[in-house]
Amino acid sequence: MLAKPCTVARALSALLILMCVEVSFAQDADQAASDGRALFTANQCWQCHGYEGQGGAAVRIAPTLYPFEAFARLVRHTNLMPAYSPNVLSDEKLRQIYEYVRSVPEPPALEDIPELSGD
Amino acid sequence: MTTKNKSAGVNRRQFLSGATAGVAAAALTNPAAAQQGSSQAGAQLAAVTPPSAAAEAMEYDVPEGYSAEEAREYFVRHPGSDFMVDVIKDLELPFITTNPGSSFRGLHESIVNYGGNSKPELLTCPHEEQAIAMAHGYAKVAGGKPIGVLVHGTVGLQHASMAMYNAWCDRVPMVVLGGNHFDATERRSGVEWSHSAQDAARVVRDFTKWDDAPLSLQHFSESMARAYKIATTPPMGPVVVIIDGHLQEAEMGSQAPTIPGVAPTVPPRGGAAALEEAARWLVEAENPVIVVDLMAHDQDGVERLIELAEALQAPVVNQAGRMNFPNTHYLSQGSGVVAQADVILGLELYDTWGLLNTLRDRVHRDEQRIARPDARVIDIGVKDLFIKSNYQSFQRYHASDLSIAGDAQETLPSLTEEVRQQMSRARRASNSEREQRWRAAHAQTRARDLDAARYGWGASPVSTARLYMELWQLVKDRDWALVSNDSLQSRWARRLWTIDRHYQHIGRAGGAGLGYGAPSAVGAALAHRAHGRLAINVQRDGDLMYVPGILWTAAHHEIPLLSVTHNNRGYHQEFMHLQRMAARRQRGIDGSSRVGNELDHPAIDFAKVAAGMGVWSEGPITDPNDLRPALIRALDVVDQGEPALVDVICQPR
Repeated sequence: MLAKPCTVARALSALLILMCVEVSFAQDADQAASDGRALFTANQCWQCHGYEGQGGAAVRIAPTLYPFEAFARLVRHTNLMPAYSPNVLSDEKLRQIYEYVRSVPEPPALEDIPELSGD
Repeated sequence: MTTKNKSAGVNRRQFLSGATAGVAAAALTNPAAAQQGSSQAGAQLAAVTPPSAAAEAMEYDVPEGYSAEEAREYFVRHPGSDFMVDVIKDLELPFITTNPGSSFRGLHESIVNYGGNSKPELLTCPHEEQAIAMAHGYAKVAGGKPIGVLVHGTVGLQHASMAMYNAWCDRVPMVVLGGNHFDATERRSGVEWSHSAQDAARVVRDFTKWDDAPLSLQHFSESMARAYKIATTPPMGPVVVIIDGHLQEAEMGSQAPTIPGVAPTVPPRGGAAALEEAARWLVEAENPVIVVDLMAHDQDGVERLIELAEALQAPVVNQAGRMNFPNTHYLSQGSGVVAQADVILGLELYDTWGLLNTLRDRVHRDEQRIARPDARVIDIGVKDLFIKSNYQSFQRYHASDLSIAGDAQETLPSLTEEVRQQMSRARRASNSEREQRWRAAHAQTRARDLDAARYGWGASPVSTARLYMELWQLVKDRDWALVSNDSLQSRWARRLWTIDRHYQHIGRAGGAGLGYGAPSAVGAALAHRAHGRLAINVQRDGDLMYVPGILWTAAHHEIPLLSVTHNNRGYHQEFMHLQRMAARRQRGIDGSSRVGNELDHPAIDFAKVAAGMGVWSEGPITDPNDLRPALIRALDVVDQGEPALVDVICQPR
């Protein structure tokens, strides 16, 4: 049995809305990551964690393994790094930085880097 | 190189060897020696005898057109500094690094013309700080055999002082000769006054083992022997002998000084009873851990530590003041093992308290114990044998449970033997299980380090892991030596390279004074040159800015060295300190940490700096894919016996 045209139209509309929402979410995430990278740079996170968050003077933070709450706790309440309070780094900005470090792609696998997989 | 004019006549050294050698010379000039018996005197004394009339005539004919009185006024027959060269040659100092100064012009001339500028050969440095740090790097590679440094009065020693502090903290020997003019009535106006001092060595006395200001050539001879002996006896360190300008330049006249020679001192060793107790604790321990810092003088030290560690199957934490233990050995472990240790054996530790505790960098600096509260500590080392008050290079006090004074490398064989004797069959049987455990842990660490290196692999600026591993591909099959410290590059060499020879890692600066890295690398490369080794220097930008002139020294004296800059365009450690302060005060750190810390705007072009000093160079390299071809080109230059530098823009660490 064929669906009624109005039903099909409603379904297509719903699908379109969902797609838009997803695209919107994706765009929001991309924007947050982009803004987060700028904040990562401006707030000098890279001094200890490297430009790619790969670690250096401090631990690797990208791609992050933590949920945001854990990430935020490490930034705000920590024995290792300086405590960044909301007065200098708001929750919103911290979230954007988190989106950035979460967006950093995985590096090549070990076996794809001859300098590391050989001797 | 200036060479001695041998046609000028019979010089002092030739005269000595040709006229009356050994016993006869000693007997002539030292009646006491003559009474001791001919063989002893001949072996210990190389005397200086007055020239015969014939020799005098040959050597010191009054030049044509001069009266005898004029000749005496204008010319010197036997300057005191010629004898100083004899003394220096007797000590077998192969090189003397120097920045020229009028307060030692007499000795300078004697080294070049009388001594033939060979053993010692003068090496020109554009700054005394470089001259000292070169000597520092050389001695660390040469197994504690020092070279000399010749510095100008007052201002020269002031320039030298920071680098001497590094050597002091790092327990590295060197013989520093400082110019001065003692007699006020002999000083010309101006510089000879302002560069003289009542007590010339005072400026560096807090961080030298010994100094003297001899007033006669015999005094000089004995002081030099004493200085050398003190400098090279553990705990080693820099010594200073002040050389009077008048003593250098004046006619020796009737002086007939002798050279006493140096009888090496056997290094101090730990006492037998204490070692027996230490062995008992180590054998009985469930989790013994060995921590080692400023211990190995040479490969023997490394081998001895392997023997002890394997006898106990105890992990070794190498704090890398020296290369003490192969990083590829399965017992080489990270510092985390200290937390589980019930007995900790510290070998030449710089900071015992800091090994066991931490003081957190917070508003209120609270202490936290890292080690187990019941962990017992055995300290073996020489740090208590020589210590000074002012500069706090000795770190916080810790009451070790068993503290044994003695050079650890010298003490290890006795301790290892004691451990073997005390080890029961049951205890020995447990070694197999311990070995498997540490092999697994070592393999896990290796895997983690390799995995960590891939993060940021393709990044620009270049990751320090990438830099080290690109280098490794080119040097791993050669006889190489890293003449820089990788501590501020995430320790990638010690994590990923194979370091199993003592000379392959030079350790740290000692006093953490910047301006050490580049010149110590050149000094170390000089020592490696004699062995045909490839010397590699991963050079920090901030450090090089203190002493860029050392590049010229390397080029001028043809010292092969591959330098690769870790150029992060700033004083990175200080960036982090400023960030910490700003965060603590809740003032934000948007860009403010650059102020006072960055070495940018304009960016420093180290390739051009090096080229300007006569060093082959390339860079700046920003794309990691460009790195290896540049390194290959640089290695071609180094293989021709010259220095080369590749400037690489890098991640902070």
